Amino acid sequence: MKILKSPWFKCIACLLCIAVISGALLASLNDVLAVSPETRTARAIKKIYGEEKEYATVLDVDNGYEPIIFDGVGSVNKVYSVSGDLLFQTTGYKGYKNGTVTLWIKAVKTNEKYSIEKVLLETSEKQTLMSKLTGEFYGGFNLTDVTEAYDSGSLFSATEKTAENYNPVSGATYSATAAANAVNCVIKYLGGER
Amino acid sequence: MKTNFRKIAKDGLISSNPTLKLVLGTCPTLALTTAAMNGIGMGLAVTFVLICSNVIISLLRRAIPKQVRIPAFILIIATFVTVVRLALDYFLPDIYDSLGLYLPLIVVNCIILARAESFASKNGVLASAADGLFMGVGFTLALTLMGAVREILGSGAVFGYKLWDFSIGFFSSSAGAFFTYAVFIALFALITDKAAERAKRKKAKPLNDGFIDDGKEAQ
Repeated sequence: MKILKSPWFKCIACLLCIAVISGALLASLNDVLAVSPETRTARAIKKIYGEEKEYATVLDVDNGYEPIIFDGVGSVNKVYSVSGDLLFQTTGYKGYKNGTVTLWIKAVKTNEKYSIEKVLLETSEKQTLMSKLTGEFYGGFNLTDVTEAYDSGSLFSATEKTAENYNPVSGATYSATAAANAVNCVIKYLGGER
Repeated sequence: MKTNFRKIAKDGLISSNPTLKLVLGTCPTLALTTAAMNGIGMGLAVTFVLICSNVIISLLRRAIPKQVRIPAFILIIATFVTVVRLALDYFLPDIYDSLGLYLPLIVVNCIILARAESFASKNGVLASAADGLFMGVGFTLALTLMGAVREILGSGAVFGYKLWDFSIGFFSSSAGAFFTYAVFIALFALITDKAAERAKRKKAKPLNDGFIDDGKEAQ
């Protein structure tokens, strides 16, 4: 067969062989090394609380729950009850190139008031300047009274100083918008808009 | 042909050090050397990919047609980078998080592609593995040293352990990365040049203290 001896056939066959073997190797490794959503949640809890804690699921998209979507703002993907606090995983929309930023947000209940105490980055999509959003920026999202912020309509913005410790970040406005939107999802959720 | 492992080691660590001599892989070098631990993490990840890809490319060097060698190399390298990503995410999540975007970017790291093209595709398996190992170690050492210096000066700590409260923020910035890199390259060039000069002088020094073999005084 002439076609089997042609150089282009050899080239395609060689690339295909490498791709198939690589694919098979990676597929089997993925079965062994893939990190489950439960492990990711446990890791996030350890990072936020400094130790492993038990949690109860309020909402979890990985366990068949529907996400709570706030149009044009973002979605609440997971809510866990951890030692009386609420731990959220939310995704903020309107990032760079319509990408998203997903955050873990700890909301603590004291005297019937919810406060946001810790914000941690989980992942981002299409955001190339995420390194501009430092720990100081995420620390600015700490709020003492979420309901008051919701009632007064003072949601976080990437360009305006809407809270005492919050400082807008320059040079990564789109990514900051998505991060702010992720926090705004929690404000809207706890404010009753769901 | 006998493999000269001593020369391979010297090339990887000193005379063709990928970071300080060939100035390859500058993107992770500049971006990830804010801490020494990042340097070790990135260095070890690159070393693993270098060794594995060099071995496989060397094994397949006669089977891969010349016309598609670069796409084939990229496929092989991408496979091992994905293995590293999966392993780091599973076993060392903190390092996985700190390396972030630069981990998948190892696929297009010039060092790995350059070694595949210039060494592994022309040499045997053992020599290619040794080349990958020493190039990787050279890269790791350079990144770790740079990371340690920037961490000490930029945040007053090393490997996460606080040394003192004094810090110069400049060394944690992008400009500080370029400055530190330039100083490292200059120092490395100075040291290697001096060593080469000394070795040359030692070689050129005539025997018998100024007299050449036939007994006449040297000019």
